[in-house]
Amino acid sequence: MFPVARAQQTDHAKKLGLKLMCMCGCGQVLVQCNHINCPSSAPMLKELDDRIARGEPDDLVVQDFIQEYGVAVLSSPPNKGFNRVAWIFPGFAFAAGLGIVLLVILHWRRRVPAAQQPVPNRKKTASPEMLARVRDQADRETEE
Amino acid sequence: MDLFGSFALLLAFICAIYAIAGGILAIRTRNPFLIKSARNAGIAVCALIFLAVASLVYLFLSDNFSIAYVVQHSSRLQPSFLKIAALWSGQEGSLLFWSLLLSIYVFSVLWSYRDKHPELMPYVGVILASVQLFFLILNNFIANPFKLIGTVGPGGVLSWITQPDGRGLTPLLQYPEMIIHPPMLYSGYTGFTIPFAFALAALIGRYPGEKWIHLTRRWTMIAWCFQSVGILLGAHWAYAVLGWGGYWSWDPVENASLMPWLTGTAFLHSVMMQEKRGMMKVWNVWLVFITFLLCIFGTFLTRSGVISSVHAFAQSDIGPWFVGFLIVILSVCTLAFLKNRDYLKSDNSLDSMISRESSFLFNNLILLVACVAVLSGTVFPVLSEWATGQKISVGAPFFNRINIPIGLMLLFLTGVGPLLAWRRTSADSLKRNFGMPMAGGLIAGAIAWPLGCKDLFSLACVILSVFVTLTIVLEFYRGAKVIRARAGGNLLSSAVQLTLRNTRRYGGYVVHFGIVLVFIGISGQAFNQDKQMEMSPGSSMQIGRYTLFCQLFENVPGPNYTSERVSIDVERDGKQVMMLYPEKRIYGDSDEAGTMVAISSTPREDLYVVYAGRSPQSDKPVIHAYLNPLVKWVWFGGVVVVLGTILALIPNRAAAIIMQAAKQPAPATAEQAIPAGVHYDGSD
Repeated sequence: MFPVARAQQTDHAKKLGLKLMCMCGCGQVLVQCNHINCPSSAPMLKELDDRIARGEPDDLVVQDFIQEYGVAVLSSPPNKGFNRVAWIFPGFAFAAGLGIVLLVILHWRRRVPAAQQPVPNRKKTASPEMLARVRDQADRETEE
Repeated sequence: MDLFGSFALLLAFICAIYAIAGGILAIRTRNPFLIKSARNAGIAVCALIFLAVASLVYLFLSDNFSIAYVVQHSSRLQPSFLKIAALWSGQEGSLLFWSLLLSIYVFSVLWSYRDKHPELMPYVGVILASVQLFFLILNNFIANPFKLIGTVGPGGVLSWITQPDGRGLTPLLQYPEMIIHPPMLYSGYTGFTIPFAFALAALIGRYPGEKWIHLTRRWTMIAWCFQSVGILLGAHWAYAVLGWGGYWSWDPVENASLMPWLTGTAFLHSVMMQEKRGMMKVWNVWLVFITFLLCIFGTFLTRSGVISSVHAFAQSDIGPWFVGFLIVILSVCTLAFLKNRDYLKSDNSLDSMISRESSFLFNNLILLVACVAVLSGTVFPVLSEWATGQKISVGAPFFNRINIPIGLMLLFLTGVGPLLAWRRTSADSLKRNFGMPMAGGLIAGAIAWPLGCKDLFSLACVILSVFVTLTIVLEFYRGAKVIRARAGGNLLSSAVQLTLRNTRRYGGYVVHFGIVLVFIGISGQAFNQDKQMEMSPGSSMQIGRYTLFCQLFENVPGPNYTSERVSIDVERDGKQVMMLYPEKRIYGDSDEAGTMVAISSTPREDLYVVYAGRSPQSDKPVIHAYLNPLVKWVWFGGVVVVLGTILALIPNRAAAIIMQAAKQPAPATAEQAIPAGVHYDGSD
């Protein structure tokens, strides 16, 4: 009723299988696809096991899978051509974000708000409203 | 009843248009009657959507198979609770359910602030009604769940027909988590509409101060909490039902739910900067806008068929509508920002690089980078195909490689941030606060390494988890010690008092601890083992310290399915501990198959057993067993996150005392009204 064709895989096959996708459209990595009656994963895994058992080098196995199924069979985008963008972009976003954060910090540190500017007449005492405002600010800022 | 539902939806659509038009006119004329009328129209929209949903539920429960949606998602044999859950199992019903949840939020907001904030609420009402209008357009004209089944008879005459039975709910959805998961996730998605509406309203109306932040903080936390629960329930469902041994595969639909959660988390942190220091106003407004946009974008991804996913709804023509809505939202937000950006000037400057303020900036940076990484990985196959004409895949290995280091940086900041003081942190304070946790983390790492924790990321996770946990424990300990010195009592009761005095802060620490537990659980993945073999009755399999004996292989009939089930006797360290029954089911209604995984879960590890089917050669059952360490910590961490959020939502004890006092007759002096040492934080 529920036929499966997967035998126990070697660690080597599992590791290599992580680099490949199941091509049935489930979006799962090849060694993780187990959806019932999957038309793709069983034959792909069998081929993978057989070729590893024959001692074929990993690169050759992966290349043959690409030839058979296209680049989409790789579980990660190849790090060349336009697809390199996928790898670079998060790092670029981090670097750009870090740059922006540092700029913001520098900008904030340079700016002296009116409240912190030197008071021209030092003898002048603070008004009760100002004291209340400052007290309220201190409460807010030290509460957490 | 189908006519009733359709009519209610149509009326809700008209009322929403009135709420928008009336609201805009009310804002222009400041006419109190119009303001009230527009608000009442908004409330009427909510009531009408509720009636429409009630009628659809009735159609399900009464097995009305003249309705196409009922036929597609229900059957006579289906238990009643699954008939109700069928409401959100398909495109049309789930969009109506979305409208319902949004209505609950909208009603709560309009009702609770009906006599408050007269300057702000008309704007909020118009924005909320506009969002509701978009979904009502879909409910009425694009994906109507009340469509009848028609057939064209002789002479081209259209006649309505009733099917004898329905196709039934998809087997994958016939699982408790799947019944609760969508309502939780949708409650998260829809909940982010409230902070969005308040932020945009405050910006357009140039509402003074940080009031909108105070007003929406709780709504945001509620939405965030629902989103967290929804994500975790989805992960648990994937773990227990899909049978591949894991709980997170970076599927586009999973990613769609994670992205607004990440930006929502960033907002919950950076909002404190605005509350305490009047800073990051532009950033906060945009974080809210982006979070809402990501909610709509995630819905677009799930429902348009742009990106393939096992979780996605069937391909439909709904995508362009969502794209249009996204463009409209983005345009409105951008225009409102450009017109009113001077309103968002910061009140304060940064005193030091080493301060709570800068830690929030870095925390936001990391969360945003994580979101960008997930987003770019999710949409990259489409971009690549568009740019190169070649299809590519972006699977879990890519996301893990990018996001694990980001996650660890975030974990580090989880420990660092709360220990830094506002404005400036002295070197002494750094030593005092970080010395012990850092030493504890390094000692934990030194112990974990010889015990076999050789994976770099897992080791870093152990060190950082202990570091963060110790920072949290120290925070509770120091605060409780002060309270004990003042009020006496033991340390535990003092810690409870401390928490109740500032629920938001200490609830936040509990949430952080929950996140640490989740990280510990995730780090266990590095040590997963699995084994697959054919097993006939009497045979055995060894995995880790477990021995599995196949006892029986049988066919078992169920209420609306038949199953092939294997009975497995499990021994741990040579002692019989339990029986497990993995099975596969065929559902009679649809002839679809479903996996029932057998899981034995302990804090140390999960024994996860899947009946993978029969071997075509020998016809023997094939058993795939997984040993997944620390998975339970993920679920337990999720529970702690939820408890921490609930704790943070409880008003401070001091605030409660003041509010109670305010309800009593006015005291003679202000001193009598406010107990000594009590400070009301002014939130909400």
